[in-house]
Amino acid sequence: MKPNPPEWDRLVAAARRAPYDQDMSAPYGFAARVAALSQSADRPGLAFVFQRVSLRAMGLAAALAVAAVAINFTSVRHLFDNQAAAPTQTADDPTSELVDLASS
Amino acid sequence: MAEDQSFDLAGCLLRVRGRDQEAARQLVDHLYPLVIRIVRSHLPRRVAEEDLAQEIFLKMFTRLDQYQGAVPFPHWVSRIAVTTCIDQLRAQKRRPEFRWADLPENEAEVLQAVTADTAAVAPDESVAAKELVGRLLDELKPEDRMVIQLLDLEQKTLAEISALTGWNQSLIKVRAFRARRKLQKLFAELKKKEGS
Repeated sequence: MKPNPPEWDRLVAAARRAPYDQDMSAPYGFAARVAALSQSADRPGLAFVFQRVSLRAMGLAAALAVAAVAINFTSVRHLFDNQAAAPTQTADDPTSELVDLASS
Repeated sequence: MAEDQSFDLAGCLLRVRGRDQEAARQLVDHLYPLVIRIVRSHLPRRVAEEDLAQEIFLKMFTRLDQYQGAVPFPHWVSRIAVTTCIDQLRAQKRRPEFRWADLPENEAEVLQAVTADTAAVAPDESVAAKELVGRLLDELKPEDRMVIQLLDLEQKTLAEISALTGWNQSLIKVRAFRARRKLQKLFAELKKKEGS
């Protein structure tokens, strides 16, 4: 390994002499609070369940939408074709209908 | 923690898995010295040690089902503590450029002493030296900082660091190399600025 810069070695040697905070005991109530939080965190909340379910539901809905379009593609295309052809038809034109009736 | 030989860790873990809140409290009390030692050594500035310790313990409880017993439980918890500290260091915004002029007087004196080839740091300036080490470490990437701190300040071996972080020894050496090169550059720049 690359050797340390000598300045760093001197600095670290001095830093290691610094007194260490000896108090290692947990603050009063810390353990009880963390234990209670951990137990509550174990139980999935409503928001968590909703998040999990809603994501799956969204994925399922998207898959169903794609499947529906794929299955009905021919029908949908015919519908569009018919609509495109509609201006040439006279079904909704009362005058044309009367002329048709008269001629028949 | 380790001194408390009478503590039945295996039994306590079993009870915690059975959702015994009193056992969970005992486990936190038992492991607190281990966790707080790591937190205090690697605590990012502006982060409260109690908050970080709490986050570590909550992660420990959340992942308890993943503990298979391959390593001693305190080692497993230590690794969670170290990775949480690294995450916190990553989240910390980069500090502005390290400048001699911004240092408090006592830290500037320490820096003067260590950059001068002959002068030694006075024993009563060890706290300032520790603060200064923290400032210099802030200039490193979180992972590099962790490695150099464990190697140089805590004087751990490569194997110990590997066990603590989960990184292989080659990666640790690479990170140490990168950190030392950065420190060298930092000292060179400081000397240059101070000389000019």
